[in-house]
Amino acid sequence: MSKRSNLIQIIIFIAFIATFLVILIALPDKSFSQKENRVLQTNPQFSFSALFGGDYTSHFETYITDQFPMRDTWVVLKAGSETAVGKQENNGIYLCKDGILIEPYTAPQSSKLDSRLGAINSFAMSQEIPVYFALIPSAAELWRDVLPTNAPNDSQKEIIDYTYSLSDCINIDVYTVLENHTSEYIYFHTDHHWTALGAYYGYTAIMDAMGLDYSDLSSYTPKVVSDSFYGTAHSSSGYCWVDPDRLETYVPAGSETVINYASGSAQESKIYDKAFLEVKDKYSYFFGGNTPLIQITTENADAPSLLIIRDSYMDALSPFLLENFSAIHIIDLRYYKLSLAEYITENEIDSALICYSVKNFAKDDNIFLISR
Amino acid sequence: MLFSSLLFIFIYLPIVLLIYYIVPMKWRNLFLFIINLVFYGWGEPVYIVLMLFSIALNYFCGLLVHKHLNNKRKAKRVLIICIIANLALLGFFKYYDLFAQTLSLIPGVSIASLSLSLPIGISFYTFQTMSYPIDVYRGDAQATRSFIDFGTFVALFPQLIAGPIVRYKDIADQLKIRIHDVDKFASGIRRFIIGLGKKVLIANNIGMLWGIYSSSAELSLLGSWLGIIAFSMQIYFDFSGYSDMAIGLGRMLGFEFLENFNYPYISKSITEFWRRWHMSLGTWFRDYLYIPLGGNRHGIGRQVFNIFAVWALTGFWHGASWNFLFWGIYYGLFLTIEKLFLLKKLNRAPSAIAHIYSLLVVICGWVLFSVDNVSLAGEYYKAMFGFGSGGLISTTDLYYLKNYAVMLIVGAAACLPVSKKLYNRLSSKVQGVLSPVLITVVLIFSTAYLVDSSYNPFLYFRF
Repeated sequence: MSKRSNLIQIIIFIAFIATFLVILIALPDKSFSQKENRVLQTNPQFSFSALFGGDYTSHFETYITDQFPMRDTWVVLKAGSETAVGKQENNGIYLCKDGILIEPYTAPQSSKLDSRLGAINSFAMSQEIPVYFALIPSAAELWRDVLPTNAPNDSQKEIIDYTYSLSDCINIDVYTVLENHTSEYIYFHTDHHWTALGAYYGYTAIMDAMGLDYSDLSSYTPKVVSDSFYGTAHSSSGYCWVDPDRLETYVPAGSETVINYASGSAQESKIYDKAFLEVKDKYSYFFGGNTPLIQITTENADAPSLLIIRDSYMDALSPFLLENFSAIHIIDLRYYKLSLAEYITENEIDSALICYSVKNFAKDDNIFLISR
Repeated sequence: MLFSSLLFIFIYLPIVLLIYYIVPMKWRNLFLFIINLVFYGWGEPVYIVLMLFSIALNYFCGLLVHKHLNNKRKAKRVLIICIIANLALLGFFKYYDLFAQTLSLIPGVSIASLSLSLPIGISFYTFQTMSYPIDVYRGDAQATRSFIDFGTFVALFPQLIAGPIVRYKDIADQLKIRIHDVDKFASGIRRFIIGLGKKVLIANNIGMLWGIYSSSAELSLLGSWLGIIAFSMQIYFDFSGYSDMAIGLGRMLGFEFLENFNYPYISKSITEFWRRWHMSLGTWFRDYLYIPLGGNRHGIGRQVFNIFAVWALTGFWHGASWNFLFWGIYYGLFLTIEKLFLLKKLNRAPSAIAHIYSLLVVICGWVLFSVDNVSLAGEYYKAMFGFGSGGLISTTDLYYLKNYAVMLIVGAAACLPVSKKLYNRLSSKVQGVLSPVLITVVLIFSTAYLVDSSYNPFLYFRF
């Protein structure tokens, strides 16, 4: 090798590693990543106690990874090169037909389901009001035809059937109605949630189970609020080249009053939060994202009241319920830590609905708080 | 700190190189000594004390052995104390819990585990430091008076974590005088980047396939083979990649380390495999255990005993779990059989047969190595021979075969010396153009994979 080539190689290498060091030092730290939807580690404070406790070094390492320049570009480069060598998945997301991104489902151990059933059953038995229970399958189940050939993906139907067979609640069959509409835009292509349309079908199943009337789909006028929605599956996979999703609403915001406890205290709010259309996490347009408690009062004062214990799938569905209830209380057990029994008595709730996606039902341990 | 981390490549390395080349020659060892301790203490700062103790112990023992060299008995006594102290440290930090747990299986015995985190690289640097007083005793090395030089050698960050196991005598001269020049530095860069690519682009990637099958409940025939072949590649590229990075970093700092791997998977016998795989460990056990035990000089019976002793310990050195011991004995068995008659037959057999035999033995051996529960290893073997709960083939296997086909082919090709041969056939002019392009590409892609992934497990942390 000639001296010149060797020199060039040294310059390339040193420039490469030193440039990033300089950029890292020169650029101000970012405190939040929209793309990953999480708080980033900033330069940790040095102290000897942190050093010898091991915190300092581990935080510093996270700091380097989190603040690395052009983070998103590197992730996309990796996704691209994985695809180039024939991989059909990246970071746990399948790249499916037509650029649909789907997270496969992995069945939990049945003991995990049993313990959760114990919790919701004891809640249902202790309540005088009817307790409804709905498990929502994800795209991995109903759109399994678009998954890469032979790709591993466990059945969510089996989980639903198993869980329902042991549940003491009034089970709601969301599965069948969704199954009848798989050719429609019921799930986002780049996000793990269902669309407002999918949520509408879920809503009809709930109404059927409760014996309530609902409006026909044709009576709604869908409104596209964003056509550039890239969801969670898009962020974590790095498959940046797929088409964005369309975020639609079917129910217009009306005269209902919405009290949201997102900040811990009661705050007047809306069923849709426009601020989220400007950021990455557009699904939070529905109700403004994660919150312990939302209380909605509608003009239908004669209608019954409903308590919903739920995960984020409910955000897209809840607007449909406005015409059927006088008051809707939406509780997220991840953030709401008070007694549900007391809440039900105090607020004179007429019926309760436990509604989870199949995956979250087995994953979220906060569900055990239900019988508190 | 791992070499294959953003922290090392983009923070630690540029800072170290910058200061190292600014500092005058006579202060460079002191600088290395200090920076080595930073590197070492990064994960567990308290263990810096342990490292300093280990350095001091062997430093003073080396001097004492040297002082008593004309009185062999006294020198030997010092040496034995030193060896025991070294092994006690290794034994305590690495094997205490294993023995506690195993003894607690006896009814009525209950010994609490300590759950100490394993000091990084302790298996490697214990062997490195131990070689020093032994070599002084044997007259193979001069005792050094410089504590800094000796400390620099023990904690030298390129080889601290995962070898190669560098012996003091191989590096003593370089600690005093070493050459820093453009050609050496550039070759160090090339070597480092080759290692980085092996680790980040191949080992981590193929390792995911092993990750899938090692945790699979229903193994099929095809799946079990896919899994263990993936592991065979993962461990080779992981470990040899790390050695490459160590050798490359050494060159950037002016050091020349001995080679550690030489295309082990092209071996035509197990004997040959161990001359090509983790060579510095094999050499260490040969020089400091097998030959002192008498090697092959006391008849075949004694030799077989020596082989098994050496290989049981070689296996056990790899980790605090009984399966590593079995893995070592497994190799002792094949090496003995080869010594007795098989090697001669293999030499006469068609080379394809010899290759297949060697690969099969090595691949089957990795099951014992990687599955640390013996009954699970049994299940794995059953699947490999068609008696698994998953039958012969599953649709999932087809998916993974398709997804990993390119990587498996790339990996297999990289196990062979063919690309190196092709590269060497190019004119030096072409090489001069190609080389900067290649290192840039590998560097960029490795960075992408490192940024992307929290998936960066390092296999040799357990050793």
